[in-house]
Amino acid sequence: MTGAWILVDDLAAAPGGPPDAAGQMDADLAMLDAVAAGGPPVLRLYRWDPPALSLGRFQPEDDVDHAACAARGVEVVRRPTGGRALLHGADLTYSAAFPQPPGDAGRVDALYEWLAGGLIAGLARLGVHAAVARNDGPAGPVCFAGQQGADLRVGERKLCGSAQVRRDGAVLQHGSVLLRRLPFDELDLVHARPGDRPVEEARAHLRATTVTLEELGAPTDPGVVAEALVEGFASGLDLQFTSRVARPTA
Amino acid sequence: MNLPEELRYSAEHEWVAVDGVRARIGITDFAQDQLGDVVYVELPSVGANVLAHASCAEVESTKSVSEIYSPVSGTVVEVNDALGDTPEQVNGDPYGAGWIFVVEMADPSEVDALLDAAAYRALVS
Repeated sequence: MTGAWILVDDLAAAPGGPPDAAGQMDADLAMLDAVAAGGPPVLRLYRWDPPALSLGRFQPEDDVDHAACAARGVEVVRRPTGGRALLHGADLTYSAAFPQPPGDAGRVDALYEWLAGGLIAGLARLGVHAAVARNDGPAGPVCFAGQQGADLRVGERKLCGSAQVRRDGAVLQHGSVLLRRLPFDELDLVHARPGDRPVEEARAHLRATTVTLEELGAPTDPGVVAEALVEGFASGLDLQFTSRVARPTA
Repeated sequence: MNLPEELRYSAEHEWVAVDGVRARIGITDFAQDQLGDVVYVELPSVGANVLAHASCAEVESTKSVSEIYSPVSGTVVEVNDALGDTPEQVNGDPYGAGWIFVVEMADPSEVDALLDAAAYRALVS
């Protein structure tokens, strides 16, 4: 997994704006398929504009309050990866596609831990000391409401959530680093399930168990954060980004 | 790693138990251990035609989705609906209650190309 990687910098504004949410997922899946076909590993960094609510691959569709999403101009998209609903728009998203290593190195948890090394090294360059999260077990409908071994925390608060898909010998992992908060959150966009805590209590819990770079006093400029993550992946994981490309402009 | 001698195995980490022209299929102990706690299995449809080594189902473990490949070609004649309520059986009993689907094989000789336990053990060691 070490060695030559391609870096795709999708932060720069392109004519026509960034892809819509479905386009972002298509781009991630295209990376996975390219690696499965024998292509080099790829790291991509991107943002979401307009905001989008991404659902896990098998998350029930009726978790989503589509009217609430439409009222706030939030796109809804299904990720190819596992996990639960995640609101994008004030985050920086990374995606990494690479061949699945053989043996124990290819375990889901081993790969989360490996990529966490790059993310932690990158965040350290921003003065943020993150660690791999504890495992809370299966989550409710909102990704950031729980912590699992795939996630990064600062103190006890979740800063980064990630998810994986693997197919044909290749792995795609993508995840979001919270830069700041939007004026609304996932709880405004999903339906409560029977037995869920009251929404304002749930919101207080979500706020108390998550943290943003802004709240940590760290840089929030996406370009600055992206550069730190790229340097973290390179130094922490011994990767060489031999080519750096911007998203092709159509 | 538990690898029953009487089963055959695919390089994509499925096991096959052959009974006449029927092949009962699940994922190996190695595979379930790689994935971690299984939380959902997307089963194939009964009646679906499957091709050897082509994807026909998916399994979600903790924040990871993986494809399941049929080791043999044929028609799906049975699926393990109990996994809807107890997907964790894929972890706890991968060769028993964690079975996933049964294929009526179009060409039983495809089994001959699958790995025996020793060959699969060598593959994953």
